Amino acid sequence: MARLGTRYPSSTVNALNPVVDPARRTRRDRSTATAYALLAPSLVGFAVFLVLPIAAVFALSLFEWNLLTDPEFVGLRNYRDLAEDERALKSIGNTFYYVLLNIPIQTVLALLLALVLNSKIKGRNVFRVIYVLPWMAMPVALGVIWRWVFDPVNGGLNRFLDLFGVDGASWLNDTAWAMPVVASVNVWQYTGYTMLFFLAGLQAIPAELYEAADVDGASRTHRFFAITLPLLRPAMLFVLVTSVIGSFQVFDTIHVMTAGGPAGSTATLNYQIYLESFTQRSAGYGSMLAVVLFAVIAAITLLQVLLFRKRTVYDFS
Amino acid sequence: MTRLRAAAALALAAPLALAACGGEDDGTVTLRYAFWDDPQRPALEAMIDAFGEDHPDIRIELEQTPWDEYWPGLDSQFAGEAAPDVFWNHVSRFPAYASSGVLLPLTDRIEESGLGTAAYPEDLYASWQFEGDQYGLPKDWDSIAMVYRIDALEAAGIDPSEIDDLEWNPVDGGTYVEFLQKLTVDANGENALSPDFDPENVVQYGAAMASSTGQTDWWNYAVQNGCELQNEPWGDYAVDAPECVEAIQFTADLYNRWGVAVPAEVTNQPNGSLASEQVTAGAAATALDGSWTLGVYRDGLEPGTWAVADNPSGPAGSGTVINGLSNAVYAGTEHPDEAWEFVEFLGSEQAQAIAADLGSVWPGVSSLNGRFADYWAGQGVDVSGFQTAAEGTTTEYPLSLDDAAFSTAALDEFNQVWLGDKDAQAAADAVVAIANE
Repeated sequence: MARLGTRYPSSTVNALNPVVDPARRTRRDRSTATAYALLAPSLVGFAVFLVLPIAAVFALSLFEWNLLTDPEFVGLRNYRDLAEDERALKSIGNTFYYVLLNIPIQTVLALLLALVLNSKIKGRNVFRVIYVLPWMAMPVALGVIWRWVFDPVNGGLNRFLDLFGVDGASWLNDTAWAMPVVASVNVWQYTGYTMLFFLAGLQAIPAELYEAADVDGASRTHRFFAITLPLLRPAMLFVLVTSVIGSFQVFDTIHVMTAGGPAGSTATLNYQIYLESFTQRSAGYGSMLAVVLFAVIAAITLLQVLLFRKRTVYDFS
Repeated sequence: MTRLRAAAALALAAPLALAACGGEDDGTVTLRYAFWDDPQRPALEAMIDAFGEDHPDIRIELEQTPWDEYWPGLDSQFAGEAAPDVFWNHVSRFPAYASSGVLLPLTDRIEESGLGTAAYPEDLYASWQFEGDQYGLPKDWDSIAMVYRIDALEAAGIDPSEIDDLEWNPVDGGTYVEFLQKLTVDANGENALSPDFDPENVVQYGAAMASSTGQTDWWNYAVQNGCELQNEPWGDYAVDAPECVEAIQFTADLYNRWGVAVPAEVTNQPNGSLASEQVTAGAAATALDGSWTLGVYRDGLEPGTWAVADNPSGPAGSGTVINGLSNAVYAGTEHPDEAWEFVEFLGSEQAQAIAADLGSVWPGVSSLNGRFADYWAGQGVDVSGFQTAAEGTTTEYPLSLDDAAFSTAALDEFNQVWLGDKDAQAAADAVVAIANE
């Protein structure tokens, strides 16, 4: 029985308990110094661009700060205020709604595309590039173009629907439609990118397994559920963790297409952080929301990893 | 606590600071000058060129950011202590900025320079004072008037001479709504008064309305209905009062009851289309619009096909929103002397004449109003409607240390009213509850 992901090469284990002679130590010290010197630029970047701002956000969540004057320490007041902040609570609900609209469709579509483009069809490399293109384009520029497409009067979509006598909705100004529309734009944008990881995962599956299945006379469906899907688990874990995190942090598409409207129906938690911190000048309160978002994402990521770890146990014997 | 703020600012701004290292060593000083209204760029560039002739050692870098992004950007630059040296300031933001020390007081410098402040209208100059100090020089003033397409009026058989006396009321809409109905035309050429009119197939609406604040839409109807946005300057917001709700309802009626305005689905801000875009595209015949947008109409319509008329009157008479901008200096600038020299120049008759002669904005220096009007007369447009408006009953931006809560709530709530999804009174109540919290 092998447990994927928890096996270390035996040399690593030995390296943890080394018997070191002095000459070797100096040599190692010197090479350690070189390693740190080489790492320094990226470490400085990591500290300045990540650690410091993250620490600042945690600290600021205990303050009231309007960006213009000195922050005022308020302890846990921001956290207590959250309980009665309908807007913020609604934005948390909006975030989950968005993630649920976004992730299942995007993941299933990406997997289907990867399966198709992993088979030997003509021009598959061209298709692979085409599906990845939306991910390569700037989200803001795409948001602007999609806003035109969804314009209720002059937009391409409603003009198209008009040809069939269908009255299109006023998509981005309709509280029921705005979120599904924004989510579908992001599905369109990120499906190709997600597909790449599934493609890589598919190509890593040993061909012998399929050959053996053929010998045993397994059906295509059976092969998919017994071989492909289980062996895609590492890829699936990576895709789900990263895309769920990305989905919880959606900002640019919403900012450009709806600015959180109408009536706050597309204001996700991350967008609410922006609104509170910058348009309302409540940077402390916004930081508190950022900490909450961090906690939510951390909890869900942990849950995903635990779920997958429990099941990522294969019996090859 | 100052150390705290510095620490917070440092932590947040360190990435910025790293990215922005660099300086000049050839003796010239570079000032950053921030503004939001791109159509005014040519006038600003012309003024900067004129300034450069006498100040070869000062370089000016223009930084343009659209209105909705301008304030969040400026605020975070204040927080990071890396704000532009000189920037456009707005009345709605002024109290928050002046009270928090991010603006450089100019009082002493104005006195030393012997600048004749009587050149500016007294109110306009005084609107940049806070607790006895002056924090900016007037850049311009603006008001709202009705911009209309002459060809649309001709096609509807409307005599332009009736247009200055239009009246509205909340009951039957009055002559103003009738006027807009005649200008709302469907694909078969029927107008909104005709029994054969098809409201599903409108090719031209009577009016276009689009405003992030209310300045170019419902505030005008509000002042024409006797509504005060605040119970007193610096006081509580009072948009839930009957006169205000009636004006809000009237605005919603233009969209939904009378169907004479380009649908809110198209024009709701911040992401919707602007009124000037709708008029220049031929999708609307009129718009109540600000004097600062005249250039957009000039560039988008043929000369001689558009004109400016007075605003309509409401139950409480005529009225409009007036406002003005100033050039302010950032308190943390490394070059306060040069920044003041630049602001002093921008406030001078010489500089503002350049903007007036380009038809950019009504100048802060009163004696130049004629030159602005002359420019537009040369374009075949009589812009006196803006002056008439400014001389009548007017309202201004609400004054508050926390303007953001009101403006955000108002846009959000009233957008729903324009869409027909929310009752005017309920929306006004919600806004007041948030803004007066």
